[in-house]
Amino acid sequence: MRQAGTYSRILSGGGVSGRTGPHLLPLARIKKIMKKSSVDVKMISGEAPLVFSKACELFIEELTKRSWDMTIQGKRKTLHKEDVASAVATTDVFDFLIELVHRNAADHVDDVSEDHAP
Amino acid sequence: MGDEHDKLLPVANVGRIMKRVLPPTAKISKEAKETIQECATEFISFVTGEASDKCQKENRKTVNGDDICWALGSLGFDDYSQAIVRYLHKHREFERERASAKIAVSSQNNNIEEETN
Repeated sequence: MRQAGTYSRILSGGGVSGRTGPHLLPLARIKKIMKKSSVDVKMISGEAPLVFSKACELFIEELTKRSWDMTIQGKRKTLHKEDVASAVATTDVFDFLIELVHRNAADHVDDVSEDHAP
Repeated sequence: MGDEHDKLLPVANVGRIMKRVLPPTAKISKEAKETIQECATEFISFVTGEASDKCQKENRKTVNGDDICWALGSLGFDDYSQAIVRYLHKHREFERERASAKIAVSSQNNNIEEETN
Protein backbone atom coordinates (compact mmCIF):
# COMPACT_ATOMS: atom_id res chain seq x y z
CA MET A 1 0.00 0.00 0.00
CA ARG A 2 1.15 3.55 -0.68
CA GLN A 3 2.74 5.33 2.29
CA ALA A 4 0.51 8.36 1.82
CA GLY A 5 0.84 9.49 5.44
CA THR A 6 4.60 9.83 5.24
CA TYR A 7 4.43 11.85 2.04
CA SER A 8 1.80 14.31 3.26
CA ARG A 9 3.46 14.73 6.65
CA ILE A 10 6.68 15.74 4.96
CA LEU A 11 4.80 18.14 2.69
CA SER A 12 3.06 19.80 5.61
CA GLY A 13 6.36 19.96 7.47
CA GLY A 14 5.13 17.98 10.44
CA GLY A 15 7.13 17.58 13.63
CA VAL A 16 10.00 19.79 14.75
CA SER A 17 10.74 21.17 11.31
CA GLY A 18 7.15 22.39 10.85
CA ARG A 19 8.24 25.94 10.39
CA THR A 20 10.85 25.43 7.74
CA GLY A 21 8.34 23.95 5.29
CA PRO A 22 5.78 26.67 4.65
CA HIS A 23 7.64 29.96 4.99
CA LEU A 24 6.23 32.66 7.24
CA LEU A 25 6.98 35.31 4.64
CA PRO A 26 6.46 34.91 0.87
CA LEU A 27 9.79 34.42 -0.91
CA ALA A 28 8.58 35.95 -4.19
CA ARG A 29 7.61 39.19 -2.43
CA ILE A 30 10.98 39.30 -0.63
CA LYS A 31 12.74 38.89 -3.98
CA LYS A 32 10.66 41.73 -5.47
CA ILE A 33 11.60 44.06 -2.62
CA MET A 34 15.29 43.13 -2.99
CA LYS A 35 15.19 43.91 -6.73
CA LYS A 36 13.50 47.28 -6.11
CA SER A 37 16.08 48.31 -3.51
CA SER A 38 18.66 49.37 -6.11
CA VAL A 39 19.25 49.40 -9.87
CA ASP A 40 22.54 47.65 -9.12
CA VAL A 41 20.78 44.52 -7.92
CA LYS A 42 20.50 42.43 -11.07
CA MET A 43 20.66 38.78 -10.07
CA ILE A 44 19.67 37.14 -6.82
CA SER A 45 20.56 33.57 -5.88
CA GLY A 46 17.91 31.12 -4.62
CA GLU A 47 19.03 31.19 -1.01
CA ALA A 48 19.13 34.97 -0.54
CA PRO A 49 15.32 35.39 -0.13
CA LEU A 50 15.38 32.37 2.17
CA VAL A 51 17.98 33.99 4.43
CA PHE A 52 15.78 37.10 4.52
CA SER A 53 12.65 35.14 5.39
CA LYS A 54 14.33 34.13 8.65
CA ALA A 55 16.17 37.45 9.18
CA CYS A 56 12.93 39.44 8.75
CA GLU A 57 11.15 37.15 11.20
CA LEU A 58 13.88 37.84 13.80
CA PHE A 59 13.84 41.57 12.99
CA ILE A 60 10.06 41.83 13.37
CA GLU A 61 10.22 39.91 16.65
CA GLU A 62 12.96 42.15 18.05
CA LEU A 63 11.30 45.41 16.98
CA THR A 64 7.96 44.19 18.36
CA LYS A 65 9.45 43.18 21.73
CA ARG A 66 11.23 46.52 22.12
CA SER A 67 8.09 48.41 21.10
CA TRP A 68 6.04 46.44 23.61
CA ASP A 69 8.56 47.43 26.34
CA MET A 70 7.58 51.04 25.57
CA THR A 71 3.88 50.14 25.78
CA ILE A 72 4.43 48.57 29.22
CA GLN A 73 6.38 51.63 30.38
CA GLY A 74 3.39 53.74 29.38
CA LYS A 75 1.16 51.35 31.40
CA ARG A 76 -0.91 50.58 28.30
CA LYS A 77 -2.14 47.35 26.73
CA THR A 78 -2.24 48.46 23.09
CA LEU A 79 0.94 48.73 21.06
CA HIS A 80 0.86 52.07 19.22
CA LYS A 81 2.94 53.55 16.43
CA GLU A 82 4.61 55.88 18.96
CA ASP A 83 5.93 52.82 20.82
CA VAL A 84 7.61 51.66 17.60
CA ALA A 85 9.13 55.15 17.14
CA SER A 86 10.47 55.06 20.73
CA ALA A 87 11.96 51.60 20.23
CA VAL A 88 13.69 52.81 17.05
CA ALA A 89 15.03 55.90 18.83
CA THR A 90 16.53 53.86 21.67
CA THR A 91 18.13 51.05 19.61
CA ASP A 92 21.35 51.77 17.69
CA VAL A 93 20.92 49.09 15.00
CA PHE A 94 17.52 50.59 14.15
CA ASP A 95 19.00 54.01 13.27
CA PHE A 96 18.25 53.39 9.58
CA LEU A 97 14.53 53.52 10.48
CA ILE A 98 14.53 56.92 12.21
CA GLU A 99 13.43 58.83 9.11
CA LEU A 100 10.81 56.23 8.25
CA VAL A 101 9.03 56.26 11.62
CA HIS A 102 9.09 60.07 11.81
CA ARG A 103 7.75 60.34 8.27
CA ASN A 104 4.90 58.09 9.40
CA ALA A 105 4.20 60.24 12.44
CA ALA A 106 4.02 63.36 10.28
CA ASP A 107 1.73 61.85 7.63
CA HIS A 108 -0.78 59.96 9.72
CA VAL A 109 -2.66 60.42 12.94
CA ASP A 110 -2.70 57.20 14.92
CA ASP A 111 -6.22 55.96 15.46
CA VAL A 112 -6.51 56.51 19.22
CA SER A 113 -10.09 55.26 19.19
CA GLU A 114 -8.74 51.69 18.93
CA ASP A 115 -7.83 51.93 22.63
CA HIS A 116 -11.38 52.81 23.60
CA ALA A 117 -13.13 50.28 21.38
CA PRO A 118 -15.25 47.89 23.46
CA MET B 1 -3.70 50.58 -4.55
CA GLY B 2 -2.83 46.92 -5.18
CA ASP B 3 0.45 48.07 -6.72
CA GLU B 4 1.46 49.77 -3.44
CA HIS B 5 1.00 46.54 -1.48
CA ASP B 6 3.31 44.70 -3.85
CA LYS B 7 6.19 46.80 -2.53
CA LEU B 8 5.64 45.77 1.09
CA LEU B 9 5.67 42.51 3.03
CA PRO B 10 2.08 41.31 3.57
CA VAL B 11 0.66 42.88 6.74
CA ALA B 12 -1.15 39.67 7.79
CA ASN B 13 2.12 37.71 7.90
CA VAL B 14 3.83 40.55 9.79
CA GLY B 15 0.97 40.60 12.31
CA ARG B 16 1.25 36.85 12.89
CA ILE B 17 4.96 37.11 13.68
CA MET B 18 4.32 40.05 16.03
CA LYS B 19 1.68 38.09 17.96
CA ARG B 20 4.19 35.30 18.65
CA VAL B 21 6.30 37.51 20.95
CA LEU B 22 3.45 39.37 22.65
CA PRO B 23 1.26 38.20 25.56
CA PRO B 24 -2.12 36.85 24.37
CA THR B 25 -3.99 39.82 25.88
CA ALA B 26 -1.88 42.41 24.04
CA LYS B 27 -3.54 44.58 21.40
CA ILE B 28 -1.85 46.07 18.36
CA SER B 29 -3.10 49.22 16.66
CA LYS B 30 -3.54 49.02 12.90
CA GLU B 31 -1.03 51.84 12.40
CA ALA B 32 1.59 50.10 14.57
CA LYS B 33 1.25 46.94 12.47
CA GLU B 34 1.59 48.97 9.27
CA THR B 35 4.62 50.81 10.65
CA ILE B 36 6.38 47.54 11.45
CA GLN B 37 5.37 46.22 8.01
CA GLU B 38 7.16 49.22 6.47
CA CYS B 39 10.17 48.88 8.80
CA ALA B 40 10.62 45.20 7.86
CA THR B 41 10.42 46.08 4.17
CA GLU B 42 12.97 48.86 4.67
CA PHE B 43 15.18 46.33 6.50
CA ILE B 44 15.29 44.17 3.37
CA SER B 45 16.21 47.15 1.16
CA PHE B 46 18.84 48.38 3.62
CA VAL B 47 20.60 45.03 3.98
CA THR B 48 20.32 44.23 0.26
CA GLY B 49 21.96 47.57 -0.57
CA GLU B 50 24.93 46.75 1.63
CA ALA B 51 25.24 43.25 0.12
CA SER B 52 24.92 44.64 -3.39
CA ASP B 53 27.71 47.17 -2.78
CA LYS B 54 30.01 44.34 -1.72
CA CYS B 55 29.16 42.34 -4.87
CA GLN B 56 29.87 45.37 -7.05
CA LYS B 57 33.26 45.93 -5.41
CA GLU B 58 34.11 42.27 -6.02
CA ASN B 59 32.82 42.37 -9.61
CA ARG B 60 30.14 39.75 -8.94
CA LYS B 61 26.70 39.92 -10.57
CA THR B 62 24.72 37.70 -8.23
CA VAL B 63 23.78 38.55 -4.64
CA ASN B 64 23.79 35.25 -2.75
CA GLY B 65 22.85 34.04 0.74
CA ASP B 66 26.38 34.48 2.06
CA ASP B 67 26.38 38.12 0.94
CA ILE B 68 23.18 38.73 2.90
CA CYS B 69 24.68 37.03 5.97
CA TRP B 70 27.80 39.16 5.64
CA ALA B 71 25.73 42.35 5.26
CA LEU B 72 23.69 41.47 8.36
CA GLY B 73 26.91 41.17 10.36
CA SER B 74 28.33 44.37 8.88
CA LEU B 75 25.21 46.36 9.84
CA GLY B 76 25.07 45.11 13.43
CA PHE B 77 22.64 42.20 13.12
CA ASP B 78 25.17 39.44 13.77
CA ASP B 79 23.10 38.01 16.60
CA TYR B 80 20.71 36.76 13.92
CA SER B 81 23.34 34.64 12.17
CA GLN B 82 23.26 31.52 14.39
CA ALA B 83 19.49 31.18 13.99
CA ILE B 84 19.78 31.76 10.23
CA VAL B 85 22.44 29.07 9.80
CA ARG B 86 20.24 26.58 11.74
CA TYR B 87 17.23 27.57 9.60
CA LEU B 88 19.15 27.06 6.34
CA HIS B 89 20.32 23.60 7.43
CA LYS B 90 16.77 22.57 8.40
CA HIS B 91 15.42 23.89 5.11
CA ARG B 92 17.99 21.97 3.07
CA GLU B 93 17.13 18.81 5.02
CA PHE B 94 13.41 19.46 4.46
CA GLU B 95 14.00 19.85 0.71
CA ARG B 96 16.06 16.63 0.60
CA GLU B 97 13.32 14.67 2.42
CA ARG B 98 10.66 16.09 0.11
CA ALA B 99 12.69 15.23 -2.98
CA SER B 100 13.28 11.64 -1.87
CA ALA B 101 9.62 11.25 -0.84
CA LYS B 102 8.57 12.34 -4.34
CA ILE B 103 10.94 9.80 -5.84
CA ALA B 104 9.63 7.06 -3.51
CA VAL B 105 5.98 7.80 -4.34
CA SER B 106 6.57 7.95 -8.08
CA SER B 107 8.44 4.64 -8.03
CA GLN B 108 5.56 3.11 -5.99
CA ASN B 109 3.15 4.44 -8.61
CA ASN B 110 5.25 2.77 -11.28
CA ASN B 111 5.13 -0.53 -9.33
CA ILE B 112 1.32 -0.35 -9.03
CA GLU B 113 1.01 0.24 -12.75
CA GLU B 114 3.15 -2.78 -13.41
CA GLU B 115 1.02 -4.95 -11.10
CA THR B 116 -2.25 -4.03 -12.80
CA ASN B 117 -0.78 -4.73 -16.20
